[in-house]
This record gives sequence, structure tokens and C-alpha cells, in this order.
Amino acid sequence: MGPTTPARIWTNLLLEPFQLPFVQRGLIEVLILAVPAGLLGTWIVLRGLAFFSHAVGTATFPGLVLADGLGFAAPLGAFAAAVLFAAGTSAGRRRGGQDAVVALVLVGCLATGVILASDVFGSGAEIETLLFGSLLLVDGGDQALAAAAAVATLLASALIGQHWLRAGFDPTFSDPAGPSPRIFDAVLLGLVALSAVAALSAVGALLVAALFVLPAITARLLTERLLSWQLLSVALVALEGTAGLWLSVKTDAPPGAAIACVAGAAFAVVGAVRIWAPRRATIAAGVTDAG
Amino acid sequence: MPAEPLIQADGLAVGYDREPVISGVAFSLEPGERMALLGPNGGGKTTLLRALLGELRPLAGELRVGSRCASVPQTERSQLDFPVSALDVAAMGALSALPWWRRPGRHERERAREALGRVGLGELAGETFGRLSGGQRQRVLIARGLVQDARVLLLDEPFSGLDRPSAEGLEALLETVAAEGCGVMIATHDLEQARRWDSVLCLNRNQIAVGPAEQVLDLEVLEATYGGAIVELPGGAGRAILPPHHHHH
Repeated sequence: MGPTTPARIWTNLLLEPFQLPFVQRGLIEVLILAVPAGLLGTWIVLRGLAFFSHAVGTATFPGLVLADGLGFAAPLGAFAAAVLFAAGTSAGRRRGGQDAVVALVLVGCLATGVILASDVFGSGAEIETLLFGSLLLVDGGDQALAAAAAVATLLASALIGQHWLRAGFDPTFSDPAGPSPRIFDAVLLGLVALSAVAALSAVGALLVAALFVLPAITARLLTERLLSWQLLSVALVALEGTAGLWLSVKTDAPPGAAIACVAGAAFAVVGAVRIWAPRRATIAAGVTDAG
Repeated sequence: MPAEPLIQADGLAVGYDREPVISGVAFSLEPGERMALLGPNGGGKTTLLRALLGELRPLAGELRVGSRCASVPQTERSQLDFPVSALDVAAMGALSALPWWRRPGRHERERAREALGRVGLGELAGETFGRLSGGQRQRVLIARGLVQDARVLLLDEPFSGLDRPSAEGLEALLETVAAEGCGVMIATHDLEQARRWDSVLCLNRNQIAVGPAEQVLDLEVLEATYGGAIVELPGGAGRAILPPHHHHH
């Protein structure tokens, strides 16, 4: 035992939770998830898919209940539900009634999930884990799924990100000679669905937006260029995920909720600084002028 | 030998879901020609532009578009928030010519920079699109069209919301682009401007008239185009269009 200096006390306080193996697994999971969540987060914000990304996570709920009740792999049930949801809503997107259709299908999915859970399978206690995730229970399979989502997102962003950008910037832009923008948009929706499923183990069906939307809109306040925004978003998901995990171990709160709180607080702080800082600059300039 | 027209339409009808919005459209656009597209809101100007871009198929008649058309739309509010520079936007014009998996590289960005120079924005290539003025944004979108190698520029009310110097600068730019051999089609509400260009096409669901402004733009045509009566304003302030007559009982 060394001397207990204040520095050592702080180090112990900060690092101690991460010495537990199950916390380390959770940490690795959230660090891998930072790549698809941060990167896709920027596209989700740019393309107005924030509500969709929240809904696609929630829509996995009946798939998860089914998988739990019938005893097959949870990600399979979740992904099937997410893909059905994406397909069901993309028809509505094309007709312009995007949000209304997303809401409609979302309610259907939740209701189905609740009925399946309460009346068919009697799922009981697992419901909470399904809805809010449990980063402290992840295993190698969860990490592999997150890694697959990370690789797929990196590849797609590098290869067709320019089409996502152009279609977002100018939806009326058409190129009769080239491939239809719809194909690229379908890939984007599919990736959001896949990554939301990968994030279920960490934050559950209800808090997917904590990883996919909050860090991206926070980072957007700090930069005006796509590449720096993407890098910052990924870094922010990693940071907020780590901090949330720590908080969860320290306070015994569910990890998904803890991450959501940290992400919300970070957004509030950055937003407040952004509003306050220009004012302070103006006041300072006024003082200089007066002096 | 006269050059091939860039666009040729004959008996053209276009619309949505088999319901024609415009019909009887017949005109040709020659290289170097600036054509004003006149008509009331809902008269089918945007529908015609969308047909020329290949987004809508003709329901009847013939439409031959011999070269690439580039659209110069009005800026949407959402675009002002986009994390892209003027150069990024101009470079988007290169995507059409690239394989789908390639992003604009050094060569394409060089061409985009060149195009921004041609529209007088060489200095502002690195500026965020949303921070540019309305006139500058129109110029960036024209540069995007030039990068696309478009020989026809289609502008949808590009002067709306511009102050006078910006509007004059944009008009001069369109003159230069046309002098270099492009065809330019401009949807507008400004009759005085339309008179300065090479031709006008008047559209109110049906084509009312087409030809050089001085031959075409008489009172009768204007009344048919805007569906109302044209009256001389007192004190020589110009003319105004009255809406169609209401029926009093």
C-alpha cells in the first residue's frame, strides 16, 4: 500500500470501477459502438432522421420479446423487427408524410411488443433489460455485432457518404444517368437499423437516441465542417459512454440511463456556452470600445 | 450551318399521375440563348423545368434534350445549416461523372475551384455555404452546374430576394455564361428583365407564346399569361396586373 495522496485518491475513484471484468467488457462495447453511433449520428442529424433512429430502436421491442419468448438470438429478432420497420416507413418517407408514418408504425410495434410480453409470453422481469439495456451484461457476441456495425458504417460512409451529403443538401437534385438516390438512402436506413440493434445491449430499445443523436447535435455546435464533426461525434460518444458507465457503477443506475443523462448534460453545457460565449465577446468588445 | 438546338419540345404535355399540368409546349433553346420563363404561380414553370431535368416524363408530345441540364434551385432554409463549403457544393457537380463509389478527388476539386473562379467566387471557396449572401449562393450553384459540364442552366426565380447590386451581378454572369455557348432558361416574374434577354416563353397551363420579347410581349399575351387584366398605373408608375374578374351577383 502506497501513501494516500489526494492524487492517488482521485485516481482510485476514477479508475477503480474499470478494474472489474464485466465493466471492462462494457467499456469495450461502448468504445466500439462509438464508431457507428458517432458517424451515423452526423448523417442522422443531416438527413433529418433523429425521430426515425429513436423509433427504429423502440420498434425492435416486439422482436426482442419474441426472441426471448421463443428462445432464439435476441439480435436476430431485433434486426428483423428493425428492417421491417425501416421498410414500412420508407414508403411513407417518399410520399412526404415521414414523421406521421414513423409514429404510426412505432405505436403498432410497441403495442405488439407489450401484448406479446404481457399476454403471450409473460416476460416479466426481462422487460426492463429489453427496454433499457444492460451494458454490464454484454458478451463477446454483442461486441462482435457492434464491430460489424462499425465496419459496415465506416465502409458505407467512405464509399457513398458523398451521395448522402448531396441528397441531403439538395433533395431536388436528380441525375437520370446515375444510380437512384433511393438506393443510397435505403442503405443509410439499413445501417441505422443495424447499428441501433447493435446498441440495444448497451442502452436498450428506448434510449438509442442517447448514443446516436445527442452526441452528434452536441458536436455540431462546435464545428462547421463534416469531417471534424464526424471525428468529434465519435470521440464524444466514446467519452460520454465511458463517463456514463462509470456513473452507472458508482450510483447503481442502469448504464443506458446514466449515459443518456451524461449526454444530455453535455449538450446542455455546450449549448449554454454557445449562447453565452458570443454575448460575452460582444460585451468585451463594447468595453474595449468604451475604453 | 446553324448549331443543333440544346432543347427541342413539340406538343409537349407534362404532369403528375397522368394528369397534365402543362400542355401544348413547343419551343427550342439554342446555344447562347437566354430564355425567360414567364407565368403565374401554379402556371407550370417548375413542372416544365422538372421535365427538362428528366425528373418527369412527357405525357404527350416530344422532348429532345441534347445535352446535360443543370438546375440552379433557390436555397432552402435547411441548406443554410449544412456543414459544407462553397467548394464542397461546387464539387458535388462532379459526382455525376464519377463511379458511384468515388468521392470528388483532387482533380474534381481543382475543377470546382476553377468554376468558382469563373463565377467570381475564387476567394470564397472555403467559406461555409450558409454564410454566403443570396447572390453568392446562386453563383455557387451555377458553378456546380459548370462542374457538371452542363450546357443548359435552368434557374428557378434566381433573383427573388436579391438586392439590386447582387441581381445585376448575377444577370451579368448569366450573360457571360450564355456568351460561352450555354443555353440559359430563367423562371422569373420580372418583365423588364425578361425584355433584356433573347426570348420569352409564356406559360399558363398552356403555352401562350414564345419568341423574342419585343415581338411576343403585348398586352393580350400578358393578360392570357397572368389570367388577369393589365392596367396602366396612374402617374406613369408602370403597369400592374389585376386578378381575374370576380362575378358579382
